Amino acid sequence: MTAPALNSGLSATALIDPQALMTIRNLELRARVVVEGFWNGIHRSPYHGFSVEFTEYRQYTPDDDPRYLDWRVFARSDRYFIKKFEDETNLRCYLLADTSRSMAYGSVGYTKAQYAATLAATLAYFLHLQGDAVGLLTFDEQIREYLPARHRAGHLRQLMLALEQPAAGQATDLGVPLQRLAELVRKRGLVVLLSDFLAPIPRLELDLAALAACGHEVVVFQILDPAESSFSFENPSLFEDVESGRKIFIDPAAARKEYLRRLETHCAGLRAACDRLGAACYRLETTRPLELALFDILRQRMQRRRKARHAMRYGRSHA
Amino acid sequence: MSLLTPLFLLGALGVALPVVFHLIRRTTRERTPFSSLMFLLPTPPRITRRSRLEHIFLLLLRCLALCLLAVGFARPFVKQPVSAPPASAAASRFVLLVDTSASMRRANLWPEAQKRAEAILGKTRPADQAAVFAFDRQLKPLVSFEEWNAAPSGDRVALAMGKLARHPPGWSATRLGDALISAAEALAETAGKTPTPRGRIILITDLQEGSHLEPLQGYEWPKGIELSVERLNSKRTSNAALQLMTDSDEAGAKGDANVRVRVSNAADSRRDQFQVGWARPGGGSFAGQPIAIYVPAGQSRIVTLPAPSSAEPVDRIILTGDEEEFDNTVFATPPETARLTVLYLGSDSEKDSRQPLYFLRRAFQETRRQVVQVLAHPPGGPLVDTEVRSATLFIITDPLPDQPLKTIREQLVGGKTAFVMLKTDALGPTLARLLELDRVSLEEAQRNGYAMLADIDFRHPLFAPFADPRFSDFTRIHFWKYRRLDPASIPSARVVAKFDSGAPALLEVPVGKGRLLVLTSGWQPDNSQLALSTKFVPLLYSMLEGSGAPAPAPTQYYIGDTIPLAPVPGAGPSTLALRLPDGSQMGLASAETNSSQTTMPGIYTVVSAQTSRRFAVNLDPTESRTAPLSPDELERLGAPLARQVPTTAREADRRHRLQNTELESRQKLWRWFVVMTLAVLLFETWLAGRTGRKPAALTGGATL
Repeated sequence: MTAPALNSGLSATALIDPQALMTIRNLELRARVVVEGFWNGIHRSPYHGFSVEFTEYRQYTPDDDPRYLDWRVFARSDRYFIKKFEDETNLRCYLLADTSRSMAYGSVGYTKAQYAATLAATLAYFLHLQGDAVGLLTFDEQIREYLPARHRAGHLRQLMLALEQPAAGQATDLGVPLQRLAELVRKRGLVVLLSDFLAPIPRLELDLAALAACGHEVVVFQILDPAESSFSFENPSLFEDVESGRKIFIDPAAARKEYLRRLETHCAGLRAACDRLGAACYRLETTRPLELALFDILRQRMQRRRKARHAMRYGRSHA
Repeated sequence: MSLLTPLFLLGALGVALPVVFHLIRRTTRERTPFSSLMFLLPTPPRITRRSRLEHIFLLLLRCLALCLLAVGFARPFVKQPVSAPPASAAASRFVLLVDTSASMRRANLWPEAQKRAEAILGKTRPADQAAVFAFDRQLKPLVSFEEWNAAPSGDRVALAMGKLARHPPGWSATRLGDALISAAEALAETAGKTPTPRGRIILITDLQEGSHLEPLQGYEWPKGIELSVERLNSKRTSNAALQLMTDSDEAGAKGDANVRVRVSNAADSRRDQFQVGWARPGGGSFAGQPIAIYVPAGQSRIVTLPAPSSAEPVDRIILTGDEEEFDNTVFATPPETARLTVLYLGSDSEKDSRQPLYFLRRAFQETRRQVVQVLAHPPGGPLVDTEVRSATLFIITDPLPDQPLKTIREQLVGGKTAFVMLKTDALGPTLARLLELDRVSLEEAQRNGYAMLADIDFRHPLFAPFADPRFSDFTRIHFWKYRRLDPASIPSARVVAKFDSGAPALLEVPVGKGRLLVLTSGWQPDNSQLALSTKFVPLLYSMLEGSGAPAPAPTQYYIGDTIPLAPVPGAGPSTLALRLPDGSQMGLASAETNSSQTTMPGIYTVVSAQTSRRFAVNLDPTESRTAPLSPDELERLGAPLARQVPTTAREADRRHRLQNTELESRQKLWRWFVVMTLAVLLFETWLAGRTGRKPAALTGGATL
C-alpha cells in the first residue's frame, strides 16, 4: 500500500457520516463498516499488507547469514547480495481510551466516548485483519479495563465488549495508566491514545514522555465535540462542569472569544508537546468521518517509516 | 363610579410583575452541562437588548387587559341616590307591647325591657302615635292612642314609662298569642279612623318557649300591620323548674299521701345537680332532709316526696341549686276529703243483687277527695234528724208513710234533691204527696220486647256529661219494664228523657228551692239494664253534683285561674272572705261565686264564719320553659316581621352594602369590562401576530 493511493482514493462522497454510523448499535459492526468502507475507498486490495517490506540490497560480507542471499541476482550478476527487510512483522498496538466523565459529553447526538470507542474498535478491527496484535486499556483517573495485545480468536470480541462499557470515571489522569502500561508492556509497539486531553499540558507531557522513552510509537487523538471547538452556545446560562460539578454563570457571547483563545492555546501546547516527544497528534471533532482518522494513522505510519528509512539511508551514507 | 369589591383591584398590580421580573432578572435557571470549565471565565450578565422592554405597545395592551379584568372583578357600579323609605317620612303608628309575665322576673330582663321601651319611645316624633300595652295572661292597656295624643309631646315618654314602672312583671303566664291578636286588633281598629294606613307592633319580650303562640295559628293577621320583636336575653341560662303533679283520685284511696313533683331542667342549662324538699312557710330552707337529684339539661325527673308529718307546718316544696329563683317553689296543701251522705229510703236488702240498693252501694267508691256514704232506711222507720240534714240526696224506691214524706218534702223545699224511682206503680201516691198533688196518673206500661231511651235532653245538667257524641249512645240500655206517667198531671214537670214509645223516662220537677227527679223505671235488672251499663255511675255522680255536692277541688290552681267560692259547706255567701298569701284579707261580695284574685303564688284561704278552705296557687308550669324562641316562629305563624330599623353603625353599613349589591346586580357593568377586556385581547393577539411576522419576513428577505 502506498500513500498516494490512499490520498487519491478517499473522496468526500465515499465517507460515512458519523451521525449515521452511530445509529448502528453494535460496535463491532460499526468498526467493520468503517474499515470495509475504507478499503473500498482506496480501491486497492487490502490483503497485501505492508509487513515484510523490502528495503535495500547490500553486498555480502562474511558472517552474514547466507539465508538472505538473493540467488536471482547472483544468477544474473554472479555477485552476492544480501536482501534486507524491515523488522516489523508483528506489530503490537495498544489502544488507550479515556472513559472519564468529560468524555461523556456530546452535543451531536452521541458522546465523545462513543466516538472514541468506535474509533478504537475501527483501529482494532483493522489491525486484527492485518494480523497484528491489539491490546486495550480504558482509564479515567485509574485503569478500568486492560486487555493485553494479542491476536487470537475471540480476542477482538472481548475487546469490543470492553469498549462498550459506559464512561463512569470522574477526572482524567493519564499518569497512572501510562505508568502502568510502561510496566506491563516491555516490548515496543504502537500506542494510540484517545482522549480529549482536557487536562494541564505539563503533566500530560511528563506522562507521555515516560511512554515515549520506552520506545513506543505514540499516536495521540484529541477528540473534541463541535460545541467544545466552536463554543456555539447562545443563551447565557449556568455552565456545569460534568467532572467536578462546578457551576459558573457564562454569557457565551461574552466568553466565546476568550474560550476559543484558551482552547487553541491548549491544543497548540498539546501539539508542541507531542512534537517534542516525537508523537503524532491529531485533533478529531466527533463529526469527522472515522475513515479519515484511520487514514491519518496510516499516513502517520507511512511518514514515520519513510522518515526512518530516510534517516537510516542518509545516516549511513553520511557515516 | 364605585366598586363593590374593591379588593379585586389588587389584581391589577399583577401587570407590574412580568415587567419587574423581566427587569430584575440577573440569573437564569437554565443549566448547561459542559465537559470542562477550564477554558471558561465567569462572566457577569450583560444588560443586553433582552433586558430592555420591547414592544411597549403590546405590553401596554396586555396591562390594559389585565387592569380591565381587575376592574370587572371589582364589580363597578354607578351610585344613584336612594330614595328614603316612605315610612320614615310619614308619621308612624305603633303599639309597644311589653311582656310582664313571671319569666320577665329573671335577673336583668325587666330593667332591660324598660331601657328598650324608653329608647323606642324616645325616638318618636311629635307626629307619631303610640300606645303602650303590657301583657301576661291578659292584655293591660297602659297608655292608649288617645292618651298619647292628648299628652304634650315632651311628657309622653315620661307618662308611658311611669305607667310601665307601675306594672312590673307579675306571676302570670305568658299568653303572647292572645296579646298579639288583641294589640293587632286595637291597631287595626284605630287605623281605620286615621289617615295613616300602616302600623307596627313593637314587642319587648324574652320570647320564651312557653309563650302560648297557639292562638296565632288560626288568626288572620290584619294587612299592613307589622311586628318587630325586641328580644331580651337573660344573662343566666340555667333554669330548673318545679311542678306539682296532679294526683289521681285513686292514688290516695289507701291513705298514701305522698306528693310527686316534676323537676325540669332547661335545655341550655349548665347545672344538673339539685335538691328538692319541703320547706316551712316563709322560709327558704328545707324543713327536713332534702332529696338530691340529678337532672341533665333538657330532661325532667319526677320525685316522690314523703308526706310531711303533721308536726311540721310545711306548705311548700322548694328547689335549690338553680340560678333562676322565680319558679323554684310550689305550694301544696293536703287534700281535703268531702263527705257526702245519700239517704236511701227503700225496703230492699243491699245483699240482694236483684234490688236497687245492691247497685247503689257499689256505685259510690271511696276516693281520697270524696267519700259518699249511703244510708239505707226502711220506709216505715223513723228518720234521724242529723242524717236528714246532712244528706245531699234522697233516693226513694218504696212508698213512704206520712212522717218521712213530710220531712223529705221540707228538705226539698229547702233546696235539696230527691230521686224517686218508680219501680212499681204503687209509688204513685207517694209521688203525688211529695209534689202536693191530688193524684198522679201512673200505670204499668204494656210493651212487647224492650224500650230504649230515645229523646234525651243533653242540655240538662244531668245528661250534660254525655253530650259528647262518643258518650251519647243510650240505645244499648234496654228497659224491660217501665211505668207510664202522664206529665200533664204534674204541672211544672220537665221531661229530661223519653222512651222510644214517647213515654217520659226521667222527669225533673222543681219543688221550692229544690227539685225532684223521677225515673219511671228501675235500674235493677228485672226492670232495666241501667245499673249494669257504663252510664250508671256517671249518672249518679251527675245527680249528686246537681244536688249541691261540691266537685272535687283540684290539687292546685295556677296564677290567674278562677277559683270557685260558693260551695263552702255550711257557710253563707255573705260571710266569705279571701285571705291572700301575703296575709292580707279581702272581702267578697255576696253574689260572688268565683274569684280571680290569684295574682301571686301561695296558699289562699277562703274564710267563712264557720269554716275555712285552703288551696294552693302556683306558677303556670309553661312559664318555666324559658328557652328562647326564634322570632321566625312568629313569622311562621303569620305575623309579618318588620325589617329591623338599623340602630347601630354596623347595621347601617350592612344596609348600605345591601343597597350597593342591589345596584350593582341591576347595572351589571362588569359585563362591559369583560367585553372590553376581550376586545383588547383580540387586538393584542392580532398586533402580536403582526409584530411576530415582521422579523420573519425580514429574515426571509435577507436569505433571498
